Amino acid sequence: MEETLKSFDFLKSLRRMDWVKLILMTIASLSIVIVLLISLFTISESIPAFSSLGLDLLLGDRWAPYYGRYGATPLVYGSLIVVFGAVLIAVPLGVLSAISLAEYMPRKLGEVVKLMIELLAAIPSIIYGFLGMVFIAPAITKLFGISLGRTALTGSIVLSMMITPTIVSISSEVISSVPREYRMAAIALGATKWQVIRGVVIPTALPGIAASILLAFGRAVGETVAVLMSCGCVAKIPSPPWNLLDPVHTLTAAIALDMGEVAMGSMHYHVLFGLGVILFVITFSVNTAAWLLMRRAPRRLIKV
Amino acid sequence: MRRVGEKLIPVLLSTPVAVLILCLLWIVVSIGGEGIQALNWSLLTSSVLEGGIFESIVGTLYMLGGAVALATPLGVATAVYLVEYAAESRLNHLIIQAVNNLAGVPSIIFGLFGYAFFCRFLGLGVSLLSGWLTLVCMILPIIVSGSVEAISMVPTSFREAALALGAPKWRVVKDVVLPAAAPGLATSVILGVGRVAGETAAILFTSSVYLMRGLPSTVLEPVMTLTYHLFVLLVATPGGMTGKPFAMALLLLGLVVSLNVLAYIIRVYYRRRW
Repeated sequence: MEETLKSFDFLKSLRRMDWVKLILMTIASLSIVIVLLISLFTISESIPAFSSLGLDLLLGDRWAPYYGRYGATPLVYGSLIVVFGAVLIAVPLGVLSAISLAEYMPRKLGEVVKLMIELLAAIPSIIYGFLGMVFIAPAITKLFGISLGRTALTGSIVLSMMITPTIVSISSEVISSVPREYRMAAIALGATKWQVIRGVVIPTALPGIAASILLAFGRAVGETVAVLMSCGCVAKIPSPPWNLLDPVHTLTAAIALDMGEVAMGSMHYHVLFGLGVILFVITFSVNTAAWLLMRRAPRRLIKV
Repeated sequence: MRRVGEKLIPVLLSTPVAVLILCLLWIVVSIGGEGIQALNWSLLTSSVLEGGIFESIVGTLYMLGGAVALATPLGVATAVYLVEYAAESRLNHLIIQAVNNLAGVPSIIFGLFGYAFFCRFLGLGVSLLSGWLTLVCMILPIIVSGSVEAISMVPTSFREAALALGAPKWRVVKDVVLPAAAPGLATSVILGVGRVAGETAAILFTSSVYLMRGLPSTVLEPVMTLTYHLFVLLVATPGGMTGKPFAMALLLLGLVVSLNVLAYIIRVYYRRRW
């Protein structure tokens, strides 16, 4: 009896094979295929560079591709210093705004403000580059009395405007999903609103806030056009290394600037893909770390 | 003393918010101020060869149209599969992870990949089609995650009602779930359009040229876009900082801001209907 039923089920399922599901599944798997193709092609095009230059590509301290010197250190350093500068500006600005939005603003006002802040993130990077070049760089020249306004600091300021919204929107979301019970417990103990925020809400939301900062970092490292236009594109480690007022070159800017001009299949061409791989490794690890942290972010205990 | 402190905190905390809003206003005013003076009908409608920007505007629209037309069905289908068909399966998990990974890939990497894969490996060359395909990879995660959210907001009772009437699953999806989720789907598509409109790095070496005569007549020809034209104008010609670049930047800014505001309005208008 069991057996006959089963074979009947099988026949039925064969006849009513869900074609729709099969088609949808194929389309959905496309995302996996794209990720694999991106990894495959970026890595395979970079193999000639890594195999003939070896660690020199990573550790070489001179980037002069037209003289056959392919050391990525100045570029990696340039990317990191610009991004650290940007994160240094964006973190206080973003986290404080997120607290204000989630805890103090009336809901309606908060929504409009959040939209405006998110618009900052939606503005194309070419426009940020434009602003950096035309307005911020001259201002830096005047302010610090230096001859070239396109510096690491210029890039950091431009980037900070682009990445703060990421911190604000994710952090404010995380802060508002700290369970009500936690707050009520603290209030019952006589804590004032600020004490609740400082002692309960922020510590609970901390993993989520940290994740938002990492995501902003990842976005900043991968930013291309705005950085290219505002950082000066000089592939040299600033002296002293923490000097934000020197021009720098970044991984992304080097790829974008050189790619149009390299001879196909030349060492320079493969090196640019190598830079892409380095960039990919950085953003991938930062994003994965953010994702792992995000899993520890608070969720509402009881839906209200 | 403590009371005063408590009252001051909201004021202090709203300072960074004010700074951010001022940034936005500053951007709009500084681009808009000069842009609006430079923007006029003849600039918009005359050819680049005569100092206008007509081809780059139409090229941008070509870019948007094609990329979104390709990415929308793929993205929505993926979302339907994830929400409606694949419960906690291993494949489901992998797809979600792939979409998340795609969302974190920097646009310049999409450019590199697009060049190596579409332009060279598939032999499509630097063309409109290569640009479309590259951009599809880039906006797919935006459309998928927006659509997943929209589709999972549709109440289960809708589906149950349709199933109870004897509708097969695909009819339920097509006639009940998707129409109910339409505003949310539209929002995610609009956000994708906004992303494409302002994109530079991904089309830098996959589909754009600085100057060409006329519009592309087939999809295998390269195309001029606002972003790329502006990019070259700014990077290559240090003198040209008045007039035209401002007008182009204003156009881009206006386009992207209005798309995002539109998406927001749709989201607010249709929120919590159930």
